[in-house]
Amino acid sequence: MVNNQGQLYTIEGVAAGVLMVVTAYLIVSSTTVLTPQDVHIADMQLEQLGNDALVILDTPDYSILNSTGSANKSKLQMQIENDGGAAFGENFSRIINSKVNPSEHDNLKFNATLFSRDELTGSVIEIQFNGSQYYRENAVKVNRWVYVNPTGATNPFVLNSRNQTVLVEVLLWRG
Amino acid sequence: MARLNEDGQWIVMMGFIVSITILILAIVVGESALIGKTTSESVLEFSKTDIQDLRSEILTLNEKKILNGSDGMDVIEDIQNISIQRKNSIVEIASWRDALARTDYIYIHFNNGITNYNEVYDEYY
Repeated sequence: MVNNQGQLYTIEGVAAGVLMVVTAYLIVSSTTVLTPQDVHIADMQLEQLGNDALVILDTPDYSILNSTGSANKSKLQMQIENDGGAAFGENFSRIINSKVNPSEHDNLKFNATLFSRDELTGSVIEIQFNGSQYYRENAVKVNRWVYVNPTGATNPFVLNSRNQTVLVEVLLWRG
Repeated sequence: MARLNEDGQWIVMMGFIVSITILILAIVVGESALIGKTTSESVLEFSKTDIQDLRSEILTLNEKKILNGSDGMDVIEDIQNISIQRKNSIVEIASWRDALARTDYIYIHFNNGITNYNEVYDEYY
């Protein structure tokens, strides 16, 4: 093979080649726009948390002892029919802000809205449910269909008195 | 540099090898952040919870005997109208009973432009 000097020239040649290729690659790739990558992961986790919280609240407290009684309703259904938005806010906030250590709590804020269809006009109406004022934070939206029938209940949101399905929509953000 | 003695050449060559290895490892590590981003993005985009929620609501209505009751059409219209306006998705729901087979069928269709979901749920009575 070649002597020591030749080997070193080869190594220098390879090194120079690598340097040129890397430089060209950096120049070409620097024109692409990079998006912050952690945002999506945080959004995904927040959305999952919000959906889980709504599922918990919309699970009926079914028992064979009171299969037809008023207890066979979900928390969310009772809050929309009777108890009002403050009761919902308290429950929802406690679920999303709880941590493993019970003396600590998270700092998530939300704004919940009800959407129901008015039977007379056929249009979808928007009702403020509960939550903090929303400005322009980076938020995710979660929602849940809820069956309600406000007949004979307090009906704090003045819904039609019939069997119906309303949509609970919650904006969720880290405040 | 070619005039260095043999020890010096070894040091220079090892330096090159180590630095190129570090560069390749850095590229591999950089790719992993991209993968984390795309998976969470696809989780956000895929309407899994929407479909689960719609399905559970319809089956709740069926269990409460509302879907085939006098308010059945009203409830279906609620879901269809609110879906289009708030969730950008088209929903079709139909239910029928096969007396010979003693089976109730519920047809559920969901389409939000990205995901299309069809199901015929059957239940013996």
